[in-house]
Amino acid sequence: MSFASPILLLSLATLPVLAAAYAWLRRRPGRYSARFPGVPVLAGAVAVTPLWRRHIPAAVAALALAALAVALARPHATIAVPVERASVVLVTDASRSMLSTDVEPSRMDAARSAAGTFLDGVPDELGVGAVAFSTTPSSVVSPTQDRERVRAHLASLNADGSTATGDALAEALQLLEGQGKQRPPAAIVLLSDGKTTTGRDPVEVAREARTAGVPVHTVSLGTSGGTITDSSGNLLPVPPDPETMADIARASGGESFGVNDGDQLDAVYERLGSQIGTRPEEREITAGFAAGGMALLLAAGALSLRAGGRLP
Amino acid sequence: MSALALTPAPGTQGPGPTPSRIVEALDLALVRRTAGMLPGEHRAPGVGAGTELAQLRVYQPGDDVRQLDPAASARTGLPHVRLHVPERLMTAWIVLDVSPSMAFGTGLRLKSDVAAGSAALLARLAVRRGGRAGLVLCGGQRELLIPPRGGRRASAIIEHAVGEGVVSDGAGDDASLGRALRRLSRLARSPGMVAVVSDFRAEAGWARPLRVLGGRHSLVAIDVSDPLEAGLPNAGVLRLVDPESGRQIEADTRDAAVRERYATHERERRSAVRDELRTAGAEVVELTTGDPWLEQLGRRLR
Repeated sequence: MSFASPILLLSLATLPVLAAAYAWLRRRPGRYSARFPGVPVLAGAVAVTPLWRRHIPAAVAALALAALAVALARPHATIAVPVERASVVLVTDASRSMLSTDVEPSRMDAARSAAGTFLDGVPDELGVGAVAFSTTPSSVVSPTQDRERVRAHLASLNADGSTATGDALAEALQLLEGQGKQRPPAAIVLLSDGKTTTGRDPVEVAREARTAGVPVHTVSLGTSGGTITDSSGNLLPVPPDPETMADIARASGGESFGVNDGDQLDAVYERLGSQIGTRPEEREITAGFAAGGMALLLAAGALSLRAGGRLP
Repeated sequence: MSALALTPAPGTQGPGPTPSRIVEALDLALVRRTAGMLPGEHRAPGVGAGTELAQLRVYQPGDDVRQLDPAASARTGLPHVRLHVPERLMTAWIVLDVSPSMAFGTGLRLKSDVAAGSAALLARLAVRRGGRAGLVLCGGQRELLIPPRGGRRASAIIEHAVGEGVVSDGAGDDASLGRALRRLSRLARSPGMVAVVSDFRAEAGWARPLRVLGGRHSLVAIDVSDPLEAGLPNAGVLRLVDPESGRQIEADTRDAAVRERYATHERERRSAVRDELRTAGAEVVELTTGDPWLEQLGRRLR
């Protein structure tokens, strides 16, 4: 939070002065106290209000004044505003190794649910496209604000075949570039769980993406102990390949994450969603503080009237 | 003697006029009540001035020649003197509470005005038939004692003393009434009348010394109160201060439960005070500031 006129924050210094005056006034024998011989008897009859309760109206009033003093300094806050017409393409690995169950319930299901979380989290204005890939890129959804199409795409994923990461990235890049010269901000989220086995070198494609100004955020899914059974019943190790994924991210100017369980994957997707879909912007929030201050002031007045029949 | 600092209570109007018609009526009432205390009924040790013959004996130098008994002297040929049983005058002690709580009143006048007026009236009545009146002022850190004397002068002194005012706020002492009564029971050996004029708000130890006094003297307790003390009005949040101790309290009188509790506690306190006074053998006279005190007193004593 920053302030347009921080010097006016000095008005906060009146608060301790007011507090001291309040304490002094409370301590001093009241000017308006009436003599009454029945006080000892009355002392046994009045309900004793705890000390802290008696100070609530004053405390609320002090809070109100603090809020108003802060409003005076015209505070600005950095808030996330949705990026206009931005788009992102989810590139999801659907190779056979995604069947491995080292990630609960399986790598494929975790990826689906994380992508769902991602869709829920991003602003509505964001265009989301999707590319799934195994031996070749398949099932392409160009960036759209229609979330249902992407969900349907995710549901239809079927893990089979080898891993052609490079080709898939190239496809995604094409999807984004196809939108013309005056392209709004875009990004690719790549989820993969293993080595690229066929097709182009993904790092090379990542460099192209950098030239195009599209960062590729990579998520490497799986544990090094992940296995699958092939068609003849043999156990095949399918470890992830975090190094290549990190290289891709670095080459394109994105971020890379290594993930080995579903919750972590959700968290990463959520973070990516807010990072891609929104950008930080300075906004003046004076009005909020002023309104809050006034509301608190009214509350203090009401409380005080109720407790003591007078304003604090 | 005058270490007791008294100031006129703020808003005091004095006790007001005392019409002689009511005073006379009260006088008669008192005579009837204290008849048992009047001369002739009580013997003091030794011989002294009086009307009842104690003995006749031979004149000795130094005897009062006015007491020579002519008949006995003529009969015996030697000068004889008559000696009499000493007759005591009735002594009335008035104990007046001048504590700060007395300087309060929402009716016709302050409690201290009512108390001072009734104390002065009692003193005037007490000296009427050759009696003597003494005064004890209590309620502060110390007590002030005016020894009993007879005559109009004594009643004038007492009237002046009770008009001095009250102890200033915060200088009150709860134990003062008890101290004064104890001191009085040491001083007033011979039976007489003791009138205690107070609001009996002191909580500490006046009941026992009062019982001691009641065993020997005829006791009158004049309990002075104010209508507002019996129950608080609905007047919002009040910040109240105890004149005696300076203790402050904030009371929300909009709360009916608070008013109700206060009234109940006050009623209980007053009935406890009344019980204590009756146990001590005192005749209790309750005066409020809401009505003319003289008429209340007259009605009560008649």
